[in-house]
Amino acid sequence: MTTPTRRRGARPAAAATLATTALLLAACSSGGSGGGSGDASTGADAEPVAGGDLRFAITVDSRCIDPQQVGNNDAIAVARQTVASLTAQDPDTGEIVPWLAESWEVSDDASSYTFHLREGATYADGTPIDAESVKTNFDAIVALGATASLGSQYLVGYEGTTVADAQTLTVDFAQPSAQFLQATSTFSLGLLSPASADLTPEERCAGDYVGSGPFQVESYTQDQEIVLTRVPGYDWSSEADEHTGEAYLDTVTFQVIPESSVRAGSLASGQIDATAAIAAVDQPQFDGNGFWLQQRANPGVAYQLFPKESSPLASDEAVRVAISKGIDRQQIVDTVLTERDQAATGVLSHSTPLAADLGDLLAYDPDGAEELLDDAGWVVGDDGIREKDGQKLSTTVTFWQDPAPLELVQQQLRQIGVDLQLQHVEIAESTAIKESGDFDFDYYNLTRSDPDVLRLIFSANARNINDRPAEEVDDLLDRSAAATDPDERGQLIEEASRLLVEHGHAIPVYELSTTIAAADRVHGLTFEGSSRLDFYGAWVDPS
Amino acid sequence: MTATTTRTPDGIEIADREDARSILRHGRARGAGSAGPWAARAGRYLLRRPGLVVAGLVLLLVAAWAAAPAVFASGDPITGVPADRLLPPSAEHLFGTDHLGRDVWTRVVHGASLSLRTTALAVVVGLVVGSALGLLAGFLRGWVDDVVGRAVDVLLAVPSILLSLAIITALGTGPTKIAVAVGVGAVATFARVMRAEVLRTSTSVYVEAARASGARWWSVLGRHVLPNSAGPVLALVALEFGGAVLAVSALSFLGYGTPPPTPEWGSLISGGRDYLATAWWLTTLPGLVIVAVVLSANRVARALETTGEDQ
Amino acid sequence: MARYVARRAAQGLFVLWAAFTIAFFVLYLLPSDPAALAAGSGGEVASVDPALLDDLRARYGLDRPVLVQYADALGGAVRLDFGPSYQSGAPAGSLVAQALPQTLLLTGVALALAVLGGTALAVASVLPRSRWLRQVLSALPPVGVALPTFFIGLVLLQWLSFRAGLLPAIGNAGWQSLVLPAVTLAIPPGAQLAQVLSRSLRGTLGEPYVETARAKGAGRLRVQLGHALRNAAIPAFTMLGVLVGGLLGGAVVTETVFSRVGLGRLTVQSVNTQDVPVVLAVVALSALVFVVTTLVVDLLYPLLDPRIERAPTRKAVAA
Repeated sequence: MTTPTRRRGARPAAAATLATTALLLAACSSGGSGGGSGDASTGADAEPVAGGDLRFAITVDSRCIDPQQVGNNDAIAVARQTVASLTAQDPDTGEIVPWLAESWEVSDDASSYTFHLREGATYADGTPIDAESVKTNFDAIVALGATASLGSQYLVGYEGTTVADAQTLTVDFAQPSAQFLQATSTFSLGLLSPASADLTPEERCAGDYVGSGPFQVESYTQDQEIVLTRVPGYDWSSEADEHTGEAYLDTVTFQVIPESSVRAGSLASGQIDATAAIAAVDQPQFDGNGFWLQQRANPGVAYQLFPKESSPLASDEAVRVAISKGIDRQQIVDTVLTERDQAATGVLSHSTPLAADLGDLLAYDPDGAEELLDDAGWVVGDDGIREKDGQKLSTTVTFWQDPAPLELVQQQLRQIGVDLQLQHVEIAESTAIKESGDFDFDYYNLTRSDPDVLRLIFSANARNINDRPAEEVDDLLDRSAAATDPDERGQLIEEASRLLVEHGHAIPVYELSTTIAAADRVHGLTFEGSSRLDFYGAWVDPS
Repeated sequence: MTATTTRTPDGIEIADREDARSILRHGRARGAGSAGPWAARAGRYLLRRPGLVVAGLVLLLVAAWAAAPAVFASGDPITGVPADRLLPPSAEHLFGTDHLGRDVWTRVVHGASLSLRTTALAVVVGLVVGSALGLLAGFLRGWVDDVVGRAVDVLLAVPSILLSLAIITALGTGPTKIAVAVGVGAVATFARVMRAEVLRTSTSVYVEAARASGARWWSVLGRHVLPNSAGPVLALVALEFGGAVLAVSALSFLGYGTPPPTPEWGSLISGGRDYLATAWWLTTLPGLVIVAVVLSANRVARALETTGEDQ
Repeated sequence: MARYVARRAAQGLFVLWAAFTIAFFVLYLLPSDPAALAAGSGGEVASVDPALLDDLRARYGLDRPVLVQYADALGGAVRLDFGPSYQSGAPAGSLVAQALPQTLLLTGVALALAVLGGTALAVASVLPRSRWLRQVLSALPPVGVALPTFFIGLVLLQWLSFRAGLLPAIGNAGWQSLVLPAVTLAIPPGAQLAQVLSRSLRGTLGEPYVETARAKGAGRLRVQLGHALRNAAIPAFTMLGVLVGGLLGGAVVTETVFSRVGLGRLTVQSVNTQDVPVVLAVVALSALVFVVTTLVVDLLYPLLDPRIERAPTRKAVAA
């Protein structure tokens, strides 16, 4: 799973994208929904200027910038720029287009992929990008295992890569793996020079690797800044890119600024040029006034509470459903998010292909919630918290994300007699506590542009986030993965989502979005197909 | 050090209560004299020091907040009205409202209890452990004095906030642990002052006399040395209280205190720092409350100190 | 002289050793399991993969007897090697060394500001003719002492940087970004210094005498003040060790508030992630700074004040 890292007040663009080939066309309809560019960012009225430095603020240094290992947003923003991938995903249409691979063939059962590489592309150290080096990369990612948390997941069932000639390779899987083509467009399967495979994971984390992208790591000062420089001679941009050749910027400087207010102040005073981590409350001052905002709704699983149903409290369906009914989602958006944000209308956010609108099931219904709890024998105690057989209706959620939405959820749930304790910790601590398995509800989101993420997370036969025995919904979910007809698949996804919400297996809260805030001197900084920041086409006015 | 960390806070409290009682009893008995002139003198003394009176009132007020918060702020400190979020200070909301529409004044008043309890526990830890060490060192002298003296040197060599952070690294977070961490930082000062006082009094004529007349050492300690050393230590308690308010709020500010939504002064200010550009009242007003409390505690400490010198 | 220096240095070494030892045992022997901390589990050993824990124990040498670990850690610390950070795997010592220059710069500037500001305020609080003005000025140091560092930082950020747009808030770039943090850091120790100085100034000058001098003209007063200040500076000088320690501690909060890189932020991060080797290195370093400062002060002290015979007592460090 992805573990996007964020400090207080930041807005994360989360995880990875899984897409099946069958869905790519379907994705066209919604893929561009959030991709509207800020007025200044497209630069239609101005010619791009090469040169200059762009200073971009990130919220935390997660001590690793190796594309094949990172899983947190800030690190991804850095790592994405340093590698090219076999394919790219068009941010507007969701279509998979050539990048390092000129073309490819997929076997009928989606278990074998043959890629034909373009000629002349090299790693930043001059080594040619050939079939053998791609094999080295995939083998190394599989060998890294859990350390390459995302990449190894994309390569589940990997049987090996066969090199036919210098430009042709075939990747084989033990079972159908339709998501793989889209996965080759992600940074996690971005290509590193074969020499990098010999480095230790720690050395690669420290930025010692050699990549294949338009930028390379110049320096990495822990907790302070990461400087990327343009790779001279880079000339193998993807078909999704708007220009060819080298990147415009000489350098990109990523500055680590943990304090939300300091980030806002730095942007306002011109100490940084852009950031994707401006708190909702500070955003209005950057809408105009010499700045621009560009927001993109993240597709995938919305922010939600995931019941771990092997725990006694979360095994009680009445409790789960009551919590879902007791959350006033619109109030969260109105109070602590921006007007461009959306309350969750389903398990998947509305911009995910085939996402169903289940708004009726997610309406605020405190009376219904109280009734459910009353009927289930949860009696309101002296302190206003319900209890049953001496057990308090109280649980702790451990998380590292923006605390404000959950603080409001906490306040809302108190009204129906549910005590939600919040444990706001650092990302590392959060991961560890969750590994310990000692919790009732988990809380996060996953950014993916394919509804398969629903199956991946919820199915009792996949990750089984609910930790529950198989039931009706799992059958629907598993069938959805095999369905090739978008209509049939959409039906299955909607039915499954409905069941997940009705039984309280999923308690969606709000949809994540990412907002770039930048000064007017910044142009062309935008999102790539997986909602990652893309600096390749970015340029700055000469100062 | 080890003694500090292995003792339970309860144990410390009980020990301290007895300690404090004896200090207070003897301290007051010493200062009292006859009632009438004393009261008149006190009145004149206070009249000449309006600042001290204000300081005392501030401390009384926050103590009252801690004891009966609902009297001063009847609202709910935990649950807000989302529609009323981020309102500036007004007659209705003296300190404005926060991002969830909670009344900041209510949260400050209700937060006094936890903040002051944590602070008091920290001072108690420092007082009990430090005084005990200082007492032993000053009274027994010899190698005990050497060992304690060295320990004090070492404790002073590390800035107290770093010492506290090291202890928090080991113990984990939470108000009690913060209190212990801050208390340990105060041990050295208490030990030094106590040792100096004991050395001063135990060389005095009446202690020599008591010793010569064959009194047991603990009775000399309890009857003569301890009561006469109490004055400056009491002044130090007030001073350290101010310092502990600062230290506790700094650690809460860094996020080592209570999780939300429980109000606590340091974490209130910490929560407001994401709203610096839009809502100044979230940080400035609770901050001023802390400043007022520390200022008052320091003022009272100075008064106690000078009174001690006069005698 | 040489014997005196040697003895003071030996005392300093002892304090360093003891500080390291105490910190080591506090950090390593208290309830939490370092391997579990390294695994990031906050002490819930049972729930983490045992093989991973064994692996980590072996990697950090935690499977050996405590005294062996201690001896090893002490031996390493002498060579400034504090072992690998649990979080990043980089040597804790070099993480600290990397963060140190920025913090030294910040605390150095803050110290200069504190000394200048504190002295100026102390002098100003005895100098003016108007008793009212003197009272107002002498009320300032107690206020400065009562201000929480984070509060000063936030208020300066809010009103000067955000509202007035005067100085940039962040980073380690240029002198502008140093001003607000340095001022924030300098106020509490500056106020402390002003308190001590003005007390001894007032003591040295003596109210009636000053009134007389004032009556006879300010020039006379200025001469007297020069003498008094020189005498008053001596006790203030002995505060240097405490002031520097306080500045290092204050840097923890200041660097957090201003998102500055340095020792303080490294400390906070290490405490958050329970990165024991780094915390140990920071504690040892701060003790070293204190010991060296105190030693220098002690050695210079007799030179400043010829009246003082070199009669060092054991309590010199504590006093």
